[in-house]
Amino acid sequence: MTVAYNARFVPAAFPDVLKGLLGDRWKEVRVHDRPGGKEGAVQYREYWFDLAREELLPLVDALSSLDAVHFHVLSGDDMGDCVALVYHFSLGSAAGRGARVGVFPRVCLPKDDLSVPSLWSRIPGVEYSEREMREFLGVTFEGLPNTASIFLPEDWDENVKPWRRDGAGLAPEHVRELS
Amino acid sequence: MATGEGKTYKVPIGPVHVGLKEPITAWLDVDGERVVNATIRPGAIHRGIEYMARERNPIQVIYLAERICGICSFAHITAFVRAVEDAAKIPVPLRAQYIRTILLELERLHSHILWAGVACYTIGFDAAFHLGMQLREQIMDVLEIMTGNRVNYGVGTVGGVRRDITPAVASAIHAMANFYRIHFRTFVDAVFEDPVVKARMRGVGVLSAEDAVRCCALGPTARGSGLRLDLRHSAPYEAYGDIVVKPVVPQDIFGEVHGDVFDRFAVRALEVYQSLDIIEKAMEGLPEGDLMWEPKLPKLLAYLKQAEGEGFAALEAPRGDDTHVVRLVKGDENVTSWKVRAPTYSNAVSWPLMFRQQELADVPLIINSIDPCISCMERVLTTDRSDGSSRVLEGKHLSDLCRAKSRAWGVASDLPRTGTARRMGA
Repeated sequence: MTVAYNARFVPAAFPDVLKGLLGDRWKEVRVHDRPGGKEGAVQYREYWFDLAREELLPLVDALSSLDAVHFHVLSGDDMGDCVALVYHFSLGSAAGRGARVGVFPRVCLPKDDLSVPSLWSRIPGVEYSEREMREFLGVTFEGLPNTASIFLPEDWDENVKPWRRDGAGLAPEHVRELS
Repeated sequence: MATGEGKTYKVPIGPVHVGLKEPITAWLDVDGERVVNATIRPGAIHRGIEYMARERNPIQVIYLAERICGICSFAHITAFVRAVEDAAKIPVPLRAQYIRTILLELERLHSHILWAGVACYTIGFDAAFHLGMQLREQIMDVLEIMTGNRVNYGVGTVGGVRRDITPAVASAIHAMANFYRIHFRTFVDAVFEDPVVKARMRGVGVLSAEDAVRCCALGPTARGSGLRLDLRHSAPYEAYGDIVVKPVVPQDIFGEVHGDVFDRFAVRALEVYQSLDIIEKAMEGLPEGDLMWEPKLPKLLAYLKQAEGEGFAALEAPRGDDTHVVRLVKGDENVTSWKVRAPTYSNAVSWPLMFRQQELADVPLIINSIDPCISCMERVLTTDRSDGSSRVLEGKHLSDLCRAKSRAWGVASDLPRTGTARRMGA
């Protein structure tokens, strides 16, 4: 199947699609209106919401039926009892002026099972981000073929995950204070 | 071109070279002079900037963000402050939105002209390189008049900008725009009318539209493959809410898409004119008003310390979508977490596809075609896996190889050398 951006994607129809996918949890979606220009009009919107890890692939498949999913980046943080990954997707990337919709699901992974399905087979553009989250936060992406380090040095201790805020994170001796 | 004998050599390019703004290694599998496969390994200059932000407040992080890149420093800080403004619900005064837009386009102008000049240098068209560098100085002068600096302007802040466009700056901007309307054509003619340029760039480093979508390619790299991908169009931010920007794509210029280095070149060249249009429209529509939402720094910091939330910003930097994500936690005066995704991070995923079945002599050009900062190679170590021997190829050798190909095209081509290109002695 050819992968192409859908020039006829309609951003106004997206909230209903998301309501259908999330059901009652739609009420918890954090909608960010992004204004710009003289009238202060909302130019585009971004949707932040929580998702269970098993819902991730079905969500991506549902989004793919609307438009080719453009992946920006994965952001992540150690929240104490879990590691949160936020996927930053766009729909409507090439569907005209103001047609972009930001779709940002957050998946919280418990510290005793830091695994999540890889999106690589669906969106090859996720490779760098998934490899980065593996080496910086210790998340395992199931199905990601290349799990080599990407930004950390070749001789880096694999047990040290620099962005973790617990024992797996950086020890004081790893940090060189600049004057 | 030398053909291989079924033996594949591994050729590392990088990680450090005087011409590389961002050190990166490309491991090429080479059969003869043909690249069979490529593996990219970034990381040589990972500085842990996102980690450093954990001990800095949002205003301090602006100065950290500004040092991510020398060329698109304003794009980075604008993406960062927009993410903070999104998280903390801070509105930006209109005049500041317009000034941000003007600065973003000035930055695009100097980045694109720098890139175009360096691309010409890579193929041995030094006259065009020098002309490009000479032309670029006009923008650098305007930036210096406006901000006091040629790079890293220190102009952005959360909720606005720190420098105004005074009448003197406005007249310098108008003079610069008039200058480029007249003189940039000389550079464009010199390049586009030259048969050797076309021969070296057409069909080289092709990225299909479908691969560009799948690999999430961005900016001129994606537009060069025919995708109408431009955040100024699809997600208008700042003054782009008032100024309509149409993505520049090769099918609108030539009637067809090749997705090669030539198309990427054409997109960037025409975007120079587009940026001039945007700057002129923004100057015409520049509203009166405040520059900052909250000019008192202690008050702004106190507000930010109480802010709670996540913020995202993606904007169209010269090389493509520049994305920043921040998380602010109430009571934490610092930026709790920050993720930066520069355009090269995404475009580098497409590199291996562009390298495949290309000649070694074209590698400097293909590397250069996605990133205006990466120009050529200093040295390359070739290893013969069959007997373990190795030899170092110096930058000069590779540069000579690349230029010899241009000369061969110049001799072989029966196309007349036209107009400006001939006058420049190219």
